[in-house]
Amino acid sequence: MKFLSIAIKDLKELLRDRRGFIFILLFPILFMLVFGFAFGGMGQSNTPYKLAIVNYDEPAILPASNESINFGDNLTQLLTDAKYQNSDVHLFNITKMSESDADQLLKTRKIDAELIIPNNFSQSVVALINYTILSTTNPLAAGQSNSTNITSTLIIRGDTGFINFGASQGILVGVLAQYQDEIVTQTQNTLKGTPGAQPITFLNSKVEPIAGTQNFTTFDFIAPGMIVFAILLLATTVAASLTREVENGTLARLKLSKMRGFDLLFGGLIPWSLVVVAQVVILLVVAISIGFHWQGGTDSILMAILIGVIGGIASIALGMIIAAFAKNDRQAANLGTLITVPTSFLIGAFFPLPNAAIYGFQFNEILPWTHTLAALRSTLTYGGSGDVLYQIGISLILTVILFIIGVAIFSRNRLSAEN
Amino acid sequence: MNSYIIETKDITKEFDGFKAVDGLSLQIKKGEVFGFLGPNGAGKTTSIKMMVGLLKPTSGEVLINGQDMKKFDKALIGVCPQELVLWDNLTCEESLKLIGDMYEVPKDVLKGRIEQLLNDLILTDKANTLVTNLSGGMKRRLNLALALVHQPEIVMLDEPSEGLDPQSRRVLWKYIRSLRDEEGKTVILTTHLMDEADRLSDRVAIIDHGKLLCLDTPDNLKKDTGEGDVVEITLSDAKMNQKVIKKLKEMENILSVIDVEGIINLRALNAVSKLPQIMESIEETGERMADLSVRQNTLEDVFIDLTGTRLRE
Repeated sequence: MKFLSIAIKDLKELLRDRRGFIFILLFPILFMLVFGFAFGGMGQSNTPYKLAIVNYDEPAILPASNESINFGDNLTQLLTDAKYQNSDVHLFNITKMSESDADQLLKTRKIDAELIIPNNFSQSVVALINYTILSTTNPLAAGQSNSTNITSTLIIRGDTGFINFGASQGILVGVLAQYQDEIVTQTQNTLKGTPGAQPITFLNSKVEPIAGTQNFTTFDFIAPGMIVFAILLLATTVAASLTREVENGTLARLKLSKMRGFDLLFGGLIPWSLVVVAQVVILLVVAISIGFHWQGGTDSILMAILIGVIGGIASIALGMIIAAFAKNDRQAANLGTLITVPTSFLIGAFFPLPNAAIYGFQFNEILPWTHTLAALRSTLTYGGSGDVLYQIGISLILTVILFIIGVAIFSRNRLSAEN
Repeated sequence: MNSYIIETKDITKEFDGFKAVDGLSLQIKKGEVFGFLGPNGAGKTTSIKMMVGLLKPTSGEVLINGQDMKKFDKALIGVCPQELVLWDNLTCEESLKLIGDMYEVPKDVLKGRIEQLLNDLILTDKANTLVTNLSGGMKRRLNLALALVHQPEIVMLDEPSEGLDPQSRRVLWKYIRSLRDEEGKTVILTTHLMDEADRLSDRVAIIDHGKLLCLDTPDNLKKDTGEGDVVEITLSDAKMNQKVIKKLKEMENILSVIDVEGIINLRALNAVSKLPQIMESIEETGERMADLSVRQNTLEDVFIDLTGTRLRE
């Protein structure tokens, strides 16, 4: 069990170098605090997003009252009135304008998103109401009828590389889904004879954002990215630590013994994984305390730690690869920063990257941290929705591959006799 | 049963066209103290690194106990490097335990071995002290202990006296002798100190510029160079050395007279009795003497005889 002796040695060295250890934990916290301040954490109230509405809608006749209604205007009013849950802050600051003006403002990021309501929106809403009436009163006929199927497409336009668009988009999709559901529910309630119900009243539906976008701030989107960024930075620390062992000659001393490459690298993995656990927990506590709206219960924290450890192992493997080439710890630190910071951007730790294709190849998809981040966001920000297990699985497979590569390269360059 | 514990067969090491070691062939016997004497940069450490498997020879072969480097038992060798190679944030005991574990020394054996080494190297009081808090001498002793914790048959000591005060040096020399005499170990030491090589080694290999110049017991080497004493003469004007050398060579019973880095080096049997004649000859040349000393033949004179220069620091 030589790897255990190495693990104990590494752990002791790590903990006894108090200044270095505190720095490892403190550095990512500083980033978290800075981003917390910058993107709406720190206990501040939610911020309304700037939304331009381009309404091409033409009125349609309501079947019950023969009244002509522009549902586009109705939706606009609803979005204008919508507020964050348990808050007086509106979800959006709405401005109605032409499509060309809205496009221009999008380009200069003076607005966060643009919603284009098509000219057949009212018709499709009326069609939905008609279909709901038919399916409630005569389900058989509804099943055979195609005449009521009019689909309109609302366009949410924006700069996919802009973090505010990501947040606006998330809220809008939730609100629109809720809008359609409410139309169906209210129509059904009206048909059942709810006393005093007016066809028009169902349009004043209360907005309840979908899970995961409740009180959603940009920081909620960024916080998991910060955790992955911290995990990635660990590669630099691991590389510097391994290179120091080479520089000091202690690695040569170990090489002379019966220790194998596996003992050194697997042994080193244990204390660094514990550092990852500590980092994830501390960063989560910091993030939550400055306004991160963490979804799920204790389970999601445990899941986040597991995801973090997988990402951490990938970072350790990256650290080995860097240490296989760096000649001293300063070089390792520089090379590590040179690799980890662009990688953080590439995987979308700070803002989503819609197209990370390099020569047509989606490079970020083969990076384990892309999937670590996706799994972490799904778990912590979206309450476990989506493809968490799939992302964890992919992240794990890529991490194992990277670790094998790391062990092979480090062993070849550092643990065999020098040429 | 192989009587040679290490054999190097024509090993060469080149770095970017520079030959650090050039065709070195050695046979080191079991249980001897083998000294590598040579100036700094002569190729001693490079040779040692090839012998322990840290460096691949460009050509040639190294056999440890008759076995190829890829197959030999790593526990056979303990290396004490020239530099301090220690983990600053481990204690003395933890460092020794780590290395013991790496050589798969059984726990109960290791415990006793650590106690013994700490005692022998006067580190018992510092067993639980972090390496970073040890003095320079203590670190040197721990550096040595780490090479011995797994009880290797071969102990390689690379410039072991480097940075030691005379008292610590004597303690170390005594310990090196005890390794051979009491534990039967083979000790290979590299040094640029002729005194160290002379006093400790059973056999000495003198190397320079990566080449083996000679190999024998210190006494034989000195005998081969020529018995007698050495007179070193420093003139006020070193430019006149050749003129004086020419005159001194005319004297009878003089073994050799050469210029070694500005100093006239004269070897003769019973040199003390020849001093009046020597001084007279110098006076006849009209040159003035700044210094004159007489000493016994040493390994340095062997080196001077072989290379025409002193051992470089």
